Amino acid sequence: MSTAWIAISAMALIGVGLPIGMITLSSLLRPSVPEDGKRQTYESGEIPTGGTRFRFNVQYYMVALLFVIFDVETAFIFPWVVTYRDALEGGPSVVAVLAPMLAFLGILIVGLVWAWRNGAVSWARSETTDWRSTQNQ
Amino acid sequence: MIEPVQLPDAAALGPALVLGLTALVVFVFDSARPHEPDRGLLAGTTAAGSLLALGVGVWYMIAGVGVPEPDGAGVISLFDGQLVVDQLALFFMLVTAIVTALVAIASYDYMDGHAHQGEYYSLVLLAATGMATMAAANSLVTVFLALELASLPSYALVAILKDNRGSVEAGLKYFLLGALSSAIFVYGISLVYGATGVLQLDLVAEAITGETGQHVLTGNAHDVAGHDGLLGVGIVLLLVGIAFKTASVPLHFWAPEAYEGAPAPIAAFLSSASKAAGFVIAIRVFTTAFPVEATAGLVGFDWSVAFAVLAVATMTIGNFAAAVQENVKRMLAYSSVGHAGYALIGLAGVGAGANELVLGAALMHLFVYAFMNTGAFLFVALAEYWGVGRTFADYNGLGRRAPIACVALTVFMFSLAGIPPLGGFLSKYLLFWGSLQAGMLFVAGALVVNSALSLYYYSRLVKAVWFEEPVTDHGSLAQPVGLYAALIAAAVMTVVVLPGFGPIADSALDAATAVLTS
Repeated sequence: MSTAWIAISAMALIGVGLPIGMITLSSLLRPSVPEDGKRQTYESGEIPTGGTRFRFNVQYYMVALLFVIFDVETAFIFPWVVTYRDALEGGPSVVAVLAPMLAFLGILIVGLVWAWRNGAVSWARSETTDWRSTQNQ
Repeated sequence: MIEPVQLPDAAALGPALVLGLTALVVFVFDSARPHEPDRGLLAGTTAAGSLLALGVGVWYMIAGVGVPEPDGAGVISLFDGQLVVDQLALFFMLVTAIVTALVAIASYDYMDGHAHQGEYYSLVLLAATGMATMAAANSLVTVFLALELASLPSYALVAILKDNRGSVEAGLKYFLLGALSSAIFVYGISLVYGATGVLQLDLVAEAITGETGQHVLTGNAHDVAGHDGLLGVGIVLLLVGIAFKTASVPLHFWAPEAYEGAPAPIAAFLSSASKAAGFVIAIRVFTTAFPVEATAGLVGFDWSVAFAVLAVATMTIGNFAAAVQENVKRMLAYSSVGHAGYALIGLAGVGAGANELVLGAALMHLFVYAFMNTGAFLFVALAEYWGVGRTFADYNGLGRRAPIACVALTVFMFSLAGIPPLGGFLSKYLLFWGSLQAGMLFVAGALVVNSALSLYYYSRLVKAVWFEEPVTDHGSLAQPVGLYAALIAAAVMTVVVLPGFGPIADSALDAATAVLTS
């Protein structure tokens, strides 16, 4: 018990100490040459345009949510497929093995069709966000 | 009559399944014509689905699902005991289905002209599915999943008037506090699991009473007594999560905010069905998983005393806050906090050596409350539909302009206050009598004092409606069919509950007995 805690504490100490030590050491060694160019966002010379705080189109989130539908679908189908053949050999009828998954897919498909019909995948231009003005800032 | 035993066991979840399937049907209908939704079709489907769920629930109840073997079909346990359909579950499935039907019918008029019709009805149905599943949940995991299934649609429903600042603000507040309390609840679950090693409620009870030093399922060395602190903290956190869901005192402050901003039918839905679902979880988790004496011996405190303190604090704070409100919807919100306090007496009585009477009375109160409170909020929905205003003064003289609706309102108010000829009186009387029998004199006294106080602000609304002179008289008001139908149905049921009290009382007492003896 105690040796495990000593090991964890040692790792925590090293984990915190290593970056602090490296930063301190390099700040002692490095020459200090202050210059305006170093303070810019992109040192490559690219001039930043506009602020970082503009609104993302809500449809990014729509796509993300639709992705979740398929993601969850995969997470459940995969183990089901792997055990499908064994389950059939185990005795239960095809219906008992197949029906729950079909019902599950059916529920998700109803949701997907509904979202599709309500325009979740049609990439309409937002009326409230003026993309040209965010680009010109 | 067809015996439900011949159906597959999963059919025992009938009411919840019907509600869930209806939600999918509403999605399909809305997919067919997403941009010009047929309001009548959507509201009608929702109402029909919830009435069908109600019918299935009543059928199961008559067929004796949950009644012990010789007379009935016995308790049906599903998925290795993760869900259980007994009398308590059916009782609360009925409450959920009734409130959902009333809300759907009333929403037909209330949501006229609003966008997101399909979303509205399907979210109501999904939340109702969650609440019906909460009634049957028999493991801490299914309790939490069902709770989230009921909560997530509720957050969206409160904020469904997207262009209304009040609605969006209420939705955000409700969501943030709800997420916090869900986190607390799930943390409590993890601590109870850590202490006992099991999640299923009856196994948790076995682990607590057993003291065998062995894990209930695996038989490995696992000493619950060594984790008494963990278990105690877990129980307290579960209590906090439940207090949020039932809008009881330490966590009641979201209720007036959320109800005020939400569309009035949704406020009715949340304050009746959602609260009842919170109570069924409280009843099942605490009576099944934490036997009073064994738990008190282990963790050092008696949870039923905590419920007694919560009950008195909740009813007192709720009623005093309601008495000073000027806004009718806020008054009703605080009054619903007060009624949560009355229902909590049922759990307080479990430890005081009370028989099933107190708990049964609490179940009855929640049943009657489903009608009278839904009705009261639907009257507010009607007032918002008319656009007469939100304060007591705005309701002045409505009795002359819309007499039928105001008679219904009077019935609800006097029933909420507990005036003798109405449903609310009997359930309160039984609560009072039961708590006296259990020797909880202080709780019984608080119940009487608070009921007397509540009469003040309920009758104030009745007085405003019937006796005050209206500021501006616009003649008679519109009579929207859906809202009137729901209002009158709720009012009739509030009155009819009294002659029909026998069967309701019997089923409530049976449910209470079953959950206490199991």
